[in-house]
Amino acid sequence: MSSLLVLLAPEIVLFITTCIVMIVGLWPKLEVRSLAMPIAGMGLLIAGVLAINTPANPESILPNIIPYAKAMTAGVGLLLVLLLAGTVDRSYEAAVERGELRFNPIHTNRAEFFAFFLFSLTGLMLCASATDLIWLFLALELVSLPTYVMATISTRKLRSQEAGVKYFFLGALGAAIFLYGFALLYGGTGTTNLIGIRDALAEQAASGGINPIAMAGIILSLIGISFKIAAVPMHFYTADVYQGAAAPVSAMLAFVPKTAGFIAMMGILAAVGWQYAPGGETLAADGVGTLPRSIYVTLAAIAVLTMTVGNVLALLQRSIKRLLAYSSIAHTGYMLVALIAGPSIAAEAGITSNGLGAVLFYLLVYGVTNIGTFAVVACLERPQPDGEADELDDLEDLRGLCRTRPVLGWVMVICALGLLGLPPLLGFWAKFLLFTSAISAGEIALVVILGLNSAIAAFYYLKLVTLPLLEEPEGDAPATTPFASRTFAGVLSAALVLLAIIPTGIVDAAMEAADRAGTIVPANIEAIERSITAEALRDEPTPIIDR
Amino acid sequence: MVSTFASMADFLAPAQASFPEGVGSVTLAHYLFVSVAMFTMGLIGFLTRRNLIIMFLCTEMMFQAAGIALIAFSRFYLHHTGQSFVIFVLTVAAAEAALALALVVLLFRGRESLNADQWHSLKG
Repeated sequence: MSSLLVLLAPEIVLFITTCIVMIVGLWPKLEVRSLAMPIAGMGLLIAGVLAINTPANPESILPNIIPYAKAMTAGVGLLLVLLLAGTVDRSYEAAVERGELRFNPIHTNRAEFFAFFLFSLTGLMLCASATDLIWLFLALELVSLPTYVMATISTRKLRSQEAGVKYFFLGALGAAIFLYGFALLYGGTGTTNLIGIRDALAEQAASGGINPIAMAGIILSLIGISFKIAAVPMHFYTADVYQGAAAPVSAMLAFVPKTAGFIAMMGILAAVGWQYAPGGETLAADGVGTLPRSIYVTLAAIAVLTMTVGNVLALLQRSIKRLLAYSSIAHTGYMLVALIAGPSIAAEAGITSNGLGAVLFYLLVYGVTNIGTFAVVACLERPQPDGEADELDDLEDLRGLCRTRPVLGWVMVICALGLLGLPPLLGFWAKFLLFTSAISAGEIALVVILGLNSAIAAFYYLKLVTLPLLEEPEGDAPATTPFASRTFAGVLSAALVLLAIIPTGIVDAAMEAADRAGTIVPANIEAIERSITAEALRDEPTPIIDR
Repeated sequence: MVSTFASMADFLAPAQASFPEGVGSVTLAHYLFVSVAMFTMGLIGFLTRRNLIIMFLCTEMMFQAAGIALIAFSRFYLHHTGQSFVIFVLTVAAAEAALALALVVLLFRGRESLNADQWHSLKG
């Protein structure tokens, strides 16, 4: 019990911080009220430090993931806190400060906004520690439910409400689908413990094939979770929600639910295992193989469609946020390729052949880079008479940004090149790992499609680069937000993207941590086969010799 | 698969002793049939109906379909894991219902309609 408390220490810290933020954010004094954001940041910092020092959990299906996933959550969460400053209550607080209104906590959203943000991150951390389907289900819901509210209240405009409703309804559908998948998975294996499921599935595979109920459960779970990662059958909401919500919230939606979904998928796929004979449902003789055929076909189809749909539709967009939304769909497709490739079976093979490590590293890099691009959108604004300034969201607004607003312009250029995966930048190393892990797993066809899609993506990412960098500005410089921390978040992520150029060892350390985090313990097939044969021998009717 | 369903009947035999003649034996397959039917109806309803409240009730029906499957499997395996899962599912379903109602009220104030087709200002 006490060891579980040690493993959950970051979540407990975050939860306590959430409660404090919820109270402090409603304080009548402005000085106290504005502490909500710094307190949230402090909580994340403490949780991150605690996370790095957590030991591996042998009862988890992904025993080593906890330190990496939780530290990543806390780190990217810190960037997001900086970006989220001033998203809600802006005109109301201004009116209170001018003395036009008396402060009334009923009309403010700051407290629940930051509290829900922390709840969502707590859910993400809980996803990483999940050992059980019930736990995983609750953690995934804890990630999602607060984000529905955050998208809805992020601006006072009707488009945010529309975004929130679309997000909520499709989210509820996705949750119902993966819940049904979990129910069938429980029905097919007789346990909700992920390690128990792993052993039950390996036993079924060794004695003739996975139970069809369990197989249907796995596939339904994967389809339902594809809502969280914005993959193809459930991607319809993405562009609308990212455009309708305020840019800082969109940056969060592109990272938190996606990471939670990928970690949940990794947990479920680790229970299935990557040791099946290629093109079949039975175990490979040497234990080196791929996913069972039906799961492989489902995931490969999702990956190819996700990459292609995301990239092709991104080409057609005029709105920066919609473009980034479709690019977020495409990135999901890239990561699915490495997820299909799976972890390396050979011990000490290193990060270049560890698909799960590659996905975990890519999530971190994508989260950081994406925050940079969304920070630029969050910083530019068009003043409105009611005080709630509107974001500039058209690609044309970026024209000549490097001259008019050099800092924001360069952040956009660097981060767009990072998302594209230009060689010396951080994004390149992340994509490189996706390629190498998929090649070492023999997924050549998927790698070719991944390469083609990266080429398509260059078209629209280069728009984000050339418009600020090479074009002449039209008219005056666009107005910027008064929230300096948003610019700081953008500059910080651009600096992190550039970090790969300087050999500091930080990037290598992150890659090693991701590699360690993505290492799984496959089911002990030999022991299971031995027990099956022993059982079969025991059940054999004793031959009657004397009649 | 066939053997799975055959052994199901053995598990449920004591429970069926109290059924009157003519009802027949209720096995796991029957429960699963109801559950799959509810899930499918919910899915079809979600995709075809355009009233937000009805769409939400369809997702609730899908949640309850999962609940029925969980309880049936729980009885089949003769342990309580599935039943405790259902308690959590109900709690989450209640939380979602609260959120759905809040959103629906907010929307109705903004646009005086609950038709999902009215919401198309975001597209491209």
